[in-house]
Amino acid sequence: MAVSLSYDLLLLLVISSLDWSSTPGSAFLTDHNRMTSSGRSEKKQQKRERATPVEPHFTECMSRDLETFRCWWSPGTFHNLSSPEELRVFYLKRNSPSSEWKECPEYSHLNRECFFDANHTSIWIPYCLQLRGQNNITYFNEDDCFSVENIVRPDPPVSLNWTLLIVSPSGLSYDVMVSWEPPPSADVSTGWMRIEYEIQYRERNATTWEALETQPHTQQTIYGLQAGTEYEVHIRTKMKGFPKFGDFSDSIFVKVTEIPLRESAVLLTLVLTFGVAGILILIMLIVVSHQQRLMMILLPPVPAPKIKGIDSELLKKGKLEELDFILNGGGLGGLPTYISDYYQDEPWVEFIEVDEEDADCGEKEDQKSSDTQRLLGLPQRSVGCFSADSHPDDDSGRASCYDTDLSEQDTHLLAASLLPGQPEDEEAFLHPDEKAPASETNKSPLIQTESEGKPTWINTDLYAQVSNVMPSGGVVLSPGQQLRIQENTEKESQKKGTLGEDTSKLNKPQFQLLVVDPDGSGYTSEITARQISTPPSSLVPGEGYQTIYPQPMETKPAAPSEPNQSPYILPDSPQTRLFAPVADYTVVQELDTHQSLLLNLPTQQPPPPCLPQHPLKAPVAIGYVTPDLLGNLSS
Amino acid sequence: MMAHIRPVSAVWVGIICLVFSSRLSTMKAASICPNDQTGCHLLPLANLFDRVIQHSARMHGISDDLHSEFELYFLPSKNQIGRVSRNCHTSTILTPNGKENAQRIAREELAEIILKLLVAWRDPLWHFHQSMSQHDEFTNFSSNKSLEMSDMVHELRKGVLKVVEKMQMLGIISNSVGDTGSPEALLTSDSAEWRFMKDYDLLYCFRRDSNKIQNYLKILKCRIVPKHGC
Repeated sequence: MAVSLSYDLLLLLVISSLDWSSTPGSAFLTDHNRMTSSGRSEKKQQKRERATPVEPHFTECMSRDLETFRCWWSPGTFHNLSSPEELRVFYLKRNSPSSEWKECPEYSHLNRECFFDANHTSIWIPYCLQLRGQNNITYFNEDDCFSVENIVRPDPPVSLNWTLLIVSPSGLSYDVMVSWEPPPSADVSTGWMRIEYEIQYRERNATTWEALETQPHTQQTIYGLQAGTEYEVHIRTKMKGFPKFGDFSDSIFVKVTEIPLRESAVLLTLVLTFGVAGILILIMLIVVSHQQRLMMILLPPVPAPKIKGIDSELLKKGKLEELDFILNGGGLGGLPTYISDYYQDEPWVEFIEVDEEDADCGEKEDQKSSDTQRLLGLPQRSVGCFSADSHPDDDSGRASCYDTDLSEQDTHLLAASLLPGQPEDEEAFLHPDEKAPASETNKSPLIQTESEGKPTWINTDLYAQVSNVMPSGGVVLSPGQQLRIQENTEKESQKKGTLGEDTSKLNKPQFQLLVVDPDGSGYTSEITARQISTPPSSLVPGEGYQTIYPQPMETKPAAPSEPNQSPYILPDSPQTRLFAPVADYTVVQELDTHQSLLLNLPTQQPPPPCLPQHPLKAPVAIGYVTPDLLGNLSS
Repeated sequence: MMAHIRPVSAVWVGIICLVFSSRLSTMKAASICPNDQTGCHLLPLANLFDRVIQHSARMHGISDDLHSEFELYFLPSKNQIGRVSRNCHTSTILTPNGKENAQRIAREELAEIILKLLVAWRDPLWHFHQSMSQHDEFTNFSSNKSLEMSDMVHELRKGVLKVVEKMQMLGIISNSVGDTGSPEALLTSDSAEWRFMKDYDLLYCFRRDSNKIQNYLKILKCRIVPKHGC
């Protein structure tokens, strides 16, 4: 009993729900509602089909321009309707609670259409429609209520045409720009309607259409059409924000004839492009993999002459004090120790070395040349390196091979005086004097007497090694060469246009400085040859240099604290080095045929009187001498 | 080497900054009246309008989506249209219901109507969002959309106020359109009818009103700056 009751209730519920949801002749709106409710509309349609008698109903209401709308009805299958005029349309505008049903303003019985003009149309207000028969039977479906904006289906666009945009290089495909006018019925210019367009196209004989995205502009590009194929294009519109599309426009046909393919040209260009790209990639790979080697080849390191024991970094950093110290012979005791460390593996470093033990002279660049020896007529004392006369020294700047008697220290002293400077200016500033050899020869006995039996190689320095080039243009030669000092005959004042040298006492292996006056510079540069002799302990900041005066003058030790320092100094000093009146600056007169520098040998001069005082006692900026000081110097 | 890098990089940064600033300045200059055309001074106003219209279109789109989602979920057995219209709380605001009416109405009035509508929907949408987030059956997607909708009303109101301001500055409309869209003015008349509306009805009403706002804005734009894209 209870079960049957509940079952009955359930049945009742089901039936009522069914009744509720399905009404015969249900509204057209269900068919045209948004797509999400399509499930519902299908359900209703099914119900409708089941119901056999179809009462009069509205089939569709549509607006084209959001200002007017029209509705169509169908009489259904009721048999008692004889003429279409019997059905009347009534509408209700639900904009106020007290609204009434009014009759259709404009009938078109032929089409079974009711037209609402602009005066009777209100947007955003729900309309409800009903059909009334003869006996005041109303066929009303509540689903037939709508707002006009929801039933808008705009007209299709007009004046379609197309233009060819571009054809692909292969000639196989092309792009087309389709343009049109908005439908005249839609008032777009006042902004009342905002319309979007959807283009669809297909090949002539195809069945499915390709649709492009809806967009609001009145033109659109279709990409990638094939040449030689005819295409059919049509467009439809809808209101922005609403789902209903209008009808399609008339189709237009697009066709582009095939352009004769320039296949070969295309292929060739492709092949070329890829080939070039591949080659470029290969080259890149090679370059990247052999970077180091290529760098060496393309940008070889500039060989810089180096002084044994002098770190070129010192020069770079401008630490001239330390440099002075070193060159002053500060490392006299110490240089030897690290000279070899620095430059052991750099055979091209030019050293002035004594290689009496050195049997492998041939390997190093600092080979002894017999030229100086020969020129000076000095006995060749060194054994190993001296080659026969037939072995000319054809390397400019090569240090002469010195006699074995030369102590190692002296060698180092000499070497130390070579500053790793600007070698590129070397030859510009050195003007070897052709007469150098002769003068050298003359001076050789001088040196010999001066030195303690030191090898005469000092005198034989026809080739001087440029140790440094001063910024003013002066050249600093290694001070271990007396000849150079002796070559400094020309006075500064005389030498305006040429390099001038000063040599101090030639005879005395005193500490002398060379003042080399490059062309018209007016400045003299100074270097202290004494650096070499300076014991390592005493650093002489800033005073590495002394001027060598145009006249042979007694040079003063640059460092007051070290009177005995000049390596070259006094011939009678036990410390006399071979660097006796070594000219720090030598004028290179020219290059001889063997590409060796011929220096201006200091002219033989009487031993210059001792300078009472070095006018340049005060530290002078290296490289520069003020004219008044210069006057002092030269006085 | 490192010492060199810093000044070099500083120089490069300075150069790049200069280039960009010059670019920006040229861009700015380009956006405002490159040539002295008549009506060129209205270009910024047209841009403002466009932005606001886009905003309103987006708002309408979201409301549309939400409305259809609601229909899916609730499957109202009947077409609710007939019932709903009586319940929209904004029915009291007199709005032009046709194209001619909208064109005949004064610009100031149209702007005011738009603002009134926007203000009227501020609170209801906020509450709608609250109630939506409490229902478990709604996806996060819907909840986000309701929040977005609620925010958009705020933003759109600000945007429309800016447009009105600009128009007043340009002398296009009179200064009668003030901040009349203050919520206090409306609340008294509304008496919070919307609280009694169902969610679905609310959505339906808002969908309709957002369409109204969109239309009115577009009409206003095309009346004031017709040359710039109508």
